[in-house]
Amino acid sequence: MTSNRSHPTYGQQAGASAPSNSALQVGTGRASAHHGELLQGVFEGEDGRLHRGLITLPYAALQAVATFWPRAQPGIRARPDSCTKASRAAQLTLQHLGLSGRGGDLTIESTIPVGHGYGSSTADVIATIRAVAASAGTTLQASSVARLAVAAEGASDAIAYGEWALLFAHCEGVVLEHFGKEFPPLAIIGFRGARDRPVETLSFPRARYDADEIEAFRVMRGLACRAVRQQDPRLLGRVATLSACINQRRLCKPEFETVLSISREQGAFGIQVAHSGTLIGLMLDAEVATNADRVAAIGRSLARAGFGDIASFTLGSGARQP
Amino acid sequence: MTGTADYFRDLEVPRFARLAPNLTAACFPLMKLMPARFMVDRAEASGLLGRGGHIVETTSGTFGLAIAMLAAARRYELTLITASSLIDLKLTRRLESLGARVAAIDDPKGDGNQPGRLERLHAILKGNPGTYWPRQYDSPENRLAYARLADMVVRAFGQIDCVVGCVGTGGSLCGTGKFLRQLFPHLRLVAVDTHRSILFGQPVGRRTLRGLGNSVLPQNVRHEMIDEVHWVGALPAFAMAHCLLREHGIFMGPTSGAAALVGGWVARQRPQMATLVIMPDEGHRHSDTVYNDDWLNRLEGWPTSLPSGPTDVERILPAAETDWTRFAWRRRTLKAVLADLGRDDCEPPDLKS
Repeated sequence: MTSNRSHPTYGQQAGASAPSNSALQVGTGRASAHHGELLQGVFEGEDGRLHRGLITLPYAALQAVATFWPRAQPGIRARPDSCTKASRAAQLTLQHLGLSGRGGDLTIESTIPVGHGYGSSTADVIATIRAVAASAGTTLQASSVARLAVAAEGASDAIAYGEWALLFAHCEGVVLEHFGKEFPPLAIIGFRGARDRPVETLSFPRARYDADEIEAFRVMRGLACRAVRQQDPRLLGRVATLSACINQRRLCKPEFETVLSISREQGAFGIQVAHSGTLIGLMLDAEVATNADRVAAIGRSLARAGFGDIASFTLGSGARQP
Repeated sequence: MTGTADYFRDLEVPRFARLAPNLTAACFPLMKLMPARFMVDRAEASGLLGRGGHIVETTSGTFGLAIAMLAAARRYELTLITASSLIDLKLTRRLESLGARVAAIDDPKGDGNQPGRLERLHAILKGNPGTYWPRQYDSPENRLAYARLADMVVRAFGQIDCVVGCVGTGGSLCGTGKFLRQLFPHLRLVAVDTHRSILFGQPVGRRTLRGLGNSVLPQNVRHEMIDEVHWVGALPAFAMAHCLLREHGIFMGPTSGAAALVGGWVARQRPQMATLVIMPDEGHRHSDTVYNDDWLNRLEGWPTSLPSGPTDVERILPAAETDWTRFAWRRRTLKAVLADLGRDDCEPPDLKS
């Protein structure tokens, strides 16, 4: 805490240059986990070209919290020191704010497990970007946070946009389509296979899709848009299930058939997965989450089938602002 | 094309018309622009079609018009091969004014002489290496193109339970149906054909209703996807086209009349199903015929009243141009249906390119 003065800078705009002696204070930022995706594939952009993209399923119960203590000298010291992407994000955010000469100490505390598709590293990066911005007395637009996150770690998810429903080009950090603000109300019962090992996201080869799949993604995107506009979770279930099935040809989840049959037995209307992780979620009507007996029964059925890390959460109960 | 206004892209977008509480029509100005633009775009991207290249296709109708518009705008040479019984002077002039060469093959039997047209097409391909042939009958791209329609439909209406459409190449019905059925596995597909078209097992012959049906069997017709088949005669189709204009202000060609007739009946049978009917083109081309009383009054059986429903048939046989028949296809292959009827001796010839 070397340059924490009493006059913070107010409302600084993204990209605006700040004098190098401007006041910085301790800044804190938060970011949520996600529970894999509702859709992942390639999609036509307004430029007529294909872009890799996804609809992230936000999971607000797990969070990363970053704290940034500014120093007048350049360089970022991060704890834990494995957070190299977060360090890079802090550096890029200072540059973006016109504070390249500055540095600081960064700590990250996170409840998000690593390597199963919860987006732990993106949450670290986004919490860091927000912490550095807060340190400069500003809040960045979600679009700026998303671009900085992609610059810091190569690819990202849509967590910069909180619980907003959108199709995000995760390799470029831009939104391909805003579907509307909130996801439809929805309960997820999440779990993963007991034998699943963590997946090293960055070493995972990029999926190649054939023409049938690319055209199917076009229609799935259209139905996701309808599902959000009409707040119809069942249509979103159709999209997620088909996306999970297409992904079986890429990263095969060994118990997928078991999941399909449990889904039918329990009256779930869809299955969603982490497309580069091990998470699976049953999609149910939002009221299910308030029915403890029902949740417990589904949990027992999943546990009997050998699944672990069973947890339920809801989506669309109120769009959390990023 | 970039994100700027693209007239061709807009021209392939249908208007949606609600014909009944559970029945929506997708009314296309020129539906064939959808596969034509998809195929030309992909041929350009893959290098099959180079700058100033030559396109050849066999067509008797709107696919030719669509590809002629694209070829003119993008500076390609185009040869269209058609049959003398199928092409009228007005369409020929319109194609030629777009710069297309139109070759009309003799067609004494009045069945479209598709084998003769293909023979000519292969001769052109042989003599002109590097010529691009879109192959609307057999290229899977024809079906893939209709993901765009499926996208527009789900954005506008969400869940769809049944699609009714004419079959000529099979592209629109089997393409749209494939993408919608991936999301809604219970989706019913209802094919609309006409008497003396071989697509669903009738013997080939002279057809009065043009723009659907075929005298050869395209690979884009996926019989195993189809739940039921209707053969609509020319007269009920014409009468329904008039009805669409009078009751809804919808001015479409006669194949759209056939599709609307079947769609209306299917929607009445299953009022709980959200049904989509595909209407492929507008009525302007038919102003001298289907929308001309003098021409109509020369037809035997005209005027006719609209039939309230089809006649269910157990055997696949041609009927009069006043008739409308229906057969429960039940997602079988053509071979399986013909075998079930004890007709495995007369399987139509498979069209191989």
